[in-house]
Order: sequence, then structure tokens, then C-alpha cells
Amino acid sequence: MVSSKTKETDTQKKIYFDIKWVFIFVIIGFLLVFQVLPLIYLIIRSFFPEGSFTLDGFKRIYSYPLNWTALKNTIISGGLASIFGVLIAFPLAWLVGRTNLYGKKIFRTIFVTTYMVPPYVGAMAWLRLLNPNVGTMNVFIKNLFGLTESPFNIYSIGGLVWVLTTFYYPYAFITISRAMEKMDPSLEEASRISGASPLKTLITITLPMMLPSIIAAGLLVFVAAASCYGIPSIVGAPGKIYTVTTRIIDYVHIGSQEGLTDATVLAVFLMALALIILYVSTVPIGKKQYITVGGKSTRPNIVDLGRWRVPITILVALFSLLIIIIPFMTIFTTSITVNMGKPLSLDNITFKYWETIFTRSSIISSAKNSLISGLLAATFGMIVSLVMAYLLKRTNIKGKGIPDFLITVGSGTPSVVIALSLIMTMSGKFKINIYNTMAILVISYMIKYMLMGMRTVVSALSQISPTLEEAGQISGANWLRRFKDIILPLILPSVVAGWFLIFMPSFYELTMSTLLYSAHTKTLGVELFTYQTYHSQQTASALASAILIFVIVVNWGMNKVTKGKFSI
Amino acid sequence: MSVVTISNLYKSFGDVEVLKSINDEFQDGEFVTLLGPSGCGKTTLLRIIAGFEKPTKGQVLIDGKVVSSEDVFVPPEHRNIGMVFQSYAVWPHMNVFENVAYPLKIKKVSKDIIKEKVDNVLKLVHLSQYAKRIPSQLSGGQQQRVALARALVAEPDLLLLDEPLSNLDAKLRESMRYEIKELTQRLGITVIFVTHDQVEAMTMSDRVLVINRGIIQQVGTPYEIYRNPANQFVSDFVGKVNFIKGKAHNGIVSLNLSHHKFPCNKDLEGDVVLAVRPESIKFVASENGNTIKGKIEKLYFIGEEVDCFVDIDGEIIRVSAPPEIYADLKQGQDIYIEIKDYLVYKDDGSDDHTKILT
Repeated sequence: MVSSKTKETDTQKKIYFDIKWVFIFVIIGFLLVFQVLPLIYLIIRSFFPEGSFTLDGFKRIYSYPLNWTALKNTIISGGLASIFGVLIAFPLAWLVGRTNLYGKKIFRTIFVTTYMVPPYVGAMAWLRLLNPNVGTMNVFIKNLFGLTESPFNIYSIGGLVWVLTTFYYPYAFITISRAMEKMDPSLEEASRISGASPLKTLITITLPMMLPSIIAAGLLVFVAAASCYGIPSIVGAPGKIYTVTTRIIDYVHIGSQEGLTDATVLAVFLMALALIILYVSTVPIGKKQYITVGGKSTRPNIVDLGRWRVPITILVALFSLLIIIIPFMTIFTTSITVNMGKPLSLDNITFKYWETIFTRSSIISSAKNSLISGLLAATFGMIVSLVMAYLLKRTNIKGKGIPDFLITVGSGTPSVVIALSLIMTMSGKFKINIYNTMAILVISYMIKYMLMGMRTVVSALSQISPTLEEAGQISGANWLRRFKDIILPLILPSVVAGWFLIFMPSFYELTMSTLLYSAHTKTLGVELFTYQTYHSQQTASALASAILIFVIVVNWGMNKVTKGKFSI
Repeated sequence: MSVVTISNLYKSFGDVEVLKSINDEFQDGEFVTLLGPSGCGKTTLLRIIAGFEKPTKGQVLIDGKVVSSEDVFVPPEHRNIGMVFQSYAVWPHMNVFENVAYPLKIKKVSKDIIKEKVDNVLKLVHLSQYAKRIPSQLSGGQQQRVALARALVAEPDLLLLDEPLSNLDAKLRESMRYEIKELTQRLGITVIFVTHDQVEAMTMSDRVLVINRGIIQQVGTPYEIYRNPANQFVSDFVGKVNFIKGKAHNGIVSLNLSHHKFPCNKDLEGDVVLAVRPESIKFVASENGNTIKGKIEKLYFIGEEVDCFVDIDGEIIRVSAPPEIYADLKQGQDIYIEIKDYLVYKDDGSDDHTKILT
């Protein structure tokens, strides 16, 4: 008896409860319900608008001129913006990353900061600068050269491309800069030692090796520009230049059944375009890029610009002035101008619009809504990111890549499509009704921006040796405990950075909020947009300036907190 | 005190079999070394014992209790093991005291006892004055001792050491060898030590498992594996050795390069090698019946010996000569050697001597 009993305890199967699975299931469940199913529903609805299969919806896109023009405008403006964006970004990335340009750090910060600025701010600024009648830059150039007509008209495809380019080239700049940092400098050194000049090396070695990243950067800009709503609605709408995003939102606002079908079809089209491009730019190119990346991260060799150093620095400075400083200053001066038809002088200055934005209860409550929904999206988003990044980097669980894939798809899906899919499925049709609540806003922000947080955490986690955690495990710590005691403290700066990367865009989000807000949950982006288009451009500008200052201050603070590690 | 039993253990990563049919029992208080070249599977075996890897087949038992098998798996945190990692894995965000106290904190030991135990173990590894330092302010050797203290603080029955000395400089490595050996002996715990350095294995172990390509080649005391290697691989891996080709017939080996005969086991027939360690070959001044004539090809003065390479009809034989005769030796000089001690193996046909039991 005794011996059999001991034997039993010896081989007894003890099940160690693994809390990991609970997290995985909750997260996958969340993504399935709020992201995957709504998007699938959208696709199904585009083929079965009245319950039976038909391609009428797609036919209407071609046959209805307004839709067809919107489609063309989207592709043309996105395509041109991506070409110009790359043409601007590559030389800038090279100058800032690989040469002895003066003030590299400042330029880098300036270019990267634009990425954090809401795009509609740019649209507002260029509207003021290049308005065909009273645009300040138009007037200035007209007087300078004695022209009879304004040289530029912002209300045109050209104007749209211009604003899209100036606001989306940072995407390309960041992508290309990163790839350049990763490139093994000895490849360039080998070219120099073989007798090639720096310029020859740039053209024959650096450029071809960077090509996959350059293409990826271009595609990224294209998707961003094509999915943008703020810029085409502010710049395009007055000139009757419609894009897919503005059409979709107009249809939803009209609210008719037919309009909704058109919106769905356009959205499916936009989603397919974005996701195919996302796939093309990450899958094959991503693999190719992997080969060019050397194992060691050595200091890149710096090219001496020689006698071109000063002229090129001046050129870059002028570019920054034109693309960043002047628009931002314009927004600010607009916010303190009494009469926008008159030049800025002492008797034309007022701070009443600034007073308005800090006192008007509707603005304050919108700011509060944005703050809360941003906080919630960032916090929940980071929890998901942390768990998913951990699973991805530290475990061999089957299917650990699924949530990562879903999060990537979510972020690649145009905002307007996410919002539309949520409206169609979350208003009670499938027993969930969160329409008109803050939850729907928070969920849409999470789906769109979670990837930023996740990428930050994943890269931080990759830099921590797994043995640090194994040492904790052998010391007796379980999974949660190791996470809390070892992993979390080590990746905290990145967690904070990731949190802000979700918070900031959620805070000033416009596109999804426009479709998903209700009377009680109006957000700052929507508020600003309403002021810009209907009430007072000065109030909108004051609000935009306040948001800009907030973004810059947070960015600066982040840099301090994370000891410079925080860079997008 | 722990007894670790490994029975019929296999491990594959995908199609690659890294451990095959491993069987052994590590006794209470024993210092066992897993010795082998990199990629031989020794670290995998250690990580299976720790619970960081699961075996594909077979079992691991600690004190008679199954901890890893096809249907039982006890995670590392429930195995009560101490471990020192090759990279030390000292947590950079905790100071020395916090690092060492961590296993006790997990066990919810009271603060006073933690303080007492950590102080004791820090004294043991000579780090008492560094308790408040953070790891980045410590040298490699000090970090290594923090890792050791952390592994020992909870008084585990079993200590696993994964090449803990490989990142230290030569002098420190030597002193740590003796320090670790002495410390673990004093504590009386079972130690499993992984290394690719035969000198570490020799000096520290009670018993050595020589592993190559996932298979245990030989198990024995350091003396046994050095003096009586089971095969050509072990013979080569645990020290310097010459393999001189010959043919065996009727218990006699005739060498290809000279007319000399060497007695051997009668079971051996056909192609064999004579395994001769450099220190088993002597230079002799004049020719006699046992000498072989050669020419000094190269020689290096190392300090405790002279490392000589002697050319005998085109085959190079390595000889370890005593340092005092260095002055009498010159490159290109004719010389006579005499083989004092040897072992005979069936020739495995490989020149790099790595072909072994498969």
C-alpha cells in the first residue's frame, strides 16, 4: 500500500495553470469581434447589398461620375504625393543621416515632429497661405514680382497634392532613415576603398541597396495620403475636388440606404487597395531588406560635403522654413488676427479666440472627451501591445503571430473604413450596440493606432536577453511576477513612449471621430473641424495652435523621460 | 541534496536531433561536468534539466520525482534549482542586493531573514562591500559572482552552471575555477557544469560526461577520460594527441611509417591508429631498438614545455619536451624519439578525429 501510494505521487500529473492563455483568448476575442468581423461584414455587404449577390454596387462606382472622379482624384493625389514625398525624403534622410550637414539633430527633430502633427493643421495653414484671392503667400509673391494674378490656387488637385506631400513625406523620411541606419556601413566603405567617390557610392551602392525601403516608403505615403480625410475635406471640398474618403463620409452623413451601399463599396475598394499595398510592401521587400542589414551596428561613415556644406545647409533650412515654420506660424498668427482680410498689425491683434477655446463649454467638453478616450485607448492599447509583444518575442505558442497580423491589418486599414465597419455592425444589428458611446471611439482608436505601441514594445523586448527572464524563472518567479519585476522595469521607457504614440493621434483624431461621435462624445478634432468649416477660422486656428503646443511639449517631455530613446 | 536521473532522453529541434538516448544519474553532492564542443547538445541537456526546454522523448527525474516527460512538465520556477547563466543575466535595473535577494523575495521570506541570508552569501562570494552597486558598475568577474550568489541564496539542492567562466579573462577564470569548486563542495550541493574547456572539466569535476553530436561518448573521472579515452574523439578532445596510422594483426600493430611493432588487444584487426599523447614521447640522444628517426620541423617554447613538431617520413608528430632542453634543440635537427605509452583504436577513417559513436 505504502509503496503504491508513493509511486502515485511520484508520477502524479500536476497541471500548472498558465494565465497566458486567458490573455491570448481575451485579446484575440476582442480583435475578432471589433475588427475582423466588422471588416468581413463590410466586404459581404458590398457584394450582397440587399441580401442577394450583385455587383451593382461596383458598377455604380464606374457609372456614377461623382464616384469615379473621387476614385481618380484619390489615386492621382496619393500617387503624386508619394512620388514627391520620396523625392524629398531620400535626399533629406541621406543628408541628415550620412553627411556632415550643419544642425543635423535640429533638422531631424523638425522633420520627425511633423509626423506627430494632425494633418488638418497643415491644410488650414496652406488654405490661409495659398487662397487664390487673399492667401498671404500668394499676395506676397504677387507684390514681389508684380504679377496681376495669384500664382497658386490651393483649391485644386495641385494644392491637394502639395499639402498631402508636405504632411506625409515624414513617413518616408522615417522609413528611409531607419533603413539607412541599419545598413552595414562597410558595404559603402568597400565601395570607397575600390575608388568610388562619395557621390558615386551614393548612386551605385547606397541607392540600389535602399531601393526596397524607398519603395516601401513610397507605398506607405500613398496609403496614408489616399486614406486621409482631413486634408481633402478642408482643401478639396471648397474646390469641389472629392476623394474616396470625403465621398464615403458624405454618403454616411446623407444616410440613405443607397448612399450607404455606395459608401460600403468605396470603402471596400479603399481597404483592398491599402491592404494589398501593405502586403506588397512588407512581405517580399521586408525579406529582401533583411539581407542587406548587417549584424553589427557600427557607426556609419560620414560623408564630407566639402564646399557644398554651407549651401546645402541653407537649402535644407529654407525647405524647413517653407514646409514647417511658415505654416505653423500662419496658424498661430491666424489665431490672433481680428480681421483676416487685413495684414497683421497691432490694432488687428486679439486674444479673444484663445480666450474662447479655454472658456467655451462645448470646446472644453470636447477636449475632455478627447482626453478621456485617448487615455483609455492608449492604456488598453498598451496592455494588449505588452501581452502580444511578449508572446511574440518570448514564447513558441502556436498562432502567436495571429494577433500581431490582425493588429498590423487594423492599422493598415484606412480610418474611414474602420469607422464605417463599426457603424454598420455595432449599432445593435448583432446584439452589440455601442453606437453613440465613447466605447466605439476608444475601440476605433485602438484598432487604428495600437500597432505603434506594439512595435515600440517589440523592439524594446528584442533588446533584452531572454536569460534575464530565465534567471527570474529559475529563482522561482511565475510568468506574471517575472513580467512585473524584470521585463516591465526594463522596458518602461518604451512602454511610456508607446503609450504616447497611441495617445497623441487618438487625442486629435478627426476621420473616425467624424463618423462615430455623438452629441455627448464630440471630440476635439471634430470640434476644430466644425469651427474651421462653419464658424470661425480664428478659433479653429487657436485650437490647432494649442494642440500643436501640446504635441511639441509632450514630445519634448518624452524625450527627457526616455533619455532620448523616444524617437518615432 | 539532489539526485538527477535522466533516462532515455531525446531532443530534436525540427528535423535536427540534438540529443540522442541520454542516460545518466547525477548523485548527491556530485560535481558533474558536461563537456563537449560547441553545438554538441550539452547546453540543451542542461536547459532540459532546468526546464527551459522540453525533451522530445524520455524523462528527467529530480529526487525520484518526474519533472519532465511526455506528459509531465514542471516549469523551472517550481524546480528549486539554482542556475548561473553564461551571460550572467544579472538584472540591470536592480542593485547587487536586490538581485541576490530576488529568489527569497519570491518565496515570501521575511525581510530580516532575507537580509541575513543575502549578507551571508555575499560574504561567501566576496562581494559584501558591493551590495548597493548596480551591475553596470561591476566588472565581469564581479557580475559573475553576483549571479553565483543569486543562484545559491535560496539554498537549492541542485546548481546548474552554463559555461559561467567563458567570459572571464584567463587569470580570473583560473581562480574562479577553484573558488567555485571549493564553495560547492563546502555546501555539499549537486552541481551540473557545462563547458567546452577540458581544463575546467578536469580540474573541477568528480565525473565528466563527454558529449559529441548529441551522444554521450564517455562517462568517467577526469583521470579516466584523460588516461583511458573511450574513442578517438574523446582522446582528441580532452587533450593533445597524435594519431599514428598502422595495421593490427594477431595482437601486433605495425606502423606505416616505421618498422616498429606495438602489442595491442587481440580483438583488433586491420586499420588502426596508435593514439600517443605528446608527453608520452621522449627524445633520446642516440639510436636504439625502440627509437624512430625524425627531424625537428618546428618548435615553440611555451614555458612549462617545449612544443615540438617532428617530421617522420612526411608525417608530423607532436612531442612535448621538458623546457630545460630547449637550448639543445634546433629547427631542422635530426632527432630520435621513443614512444613510451599509447592506446590503440580502430581507425575511424577521419582525419579530423571527430567521427565518433553514432
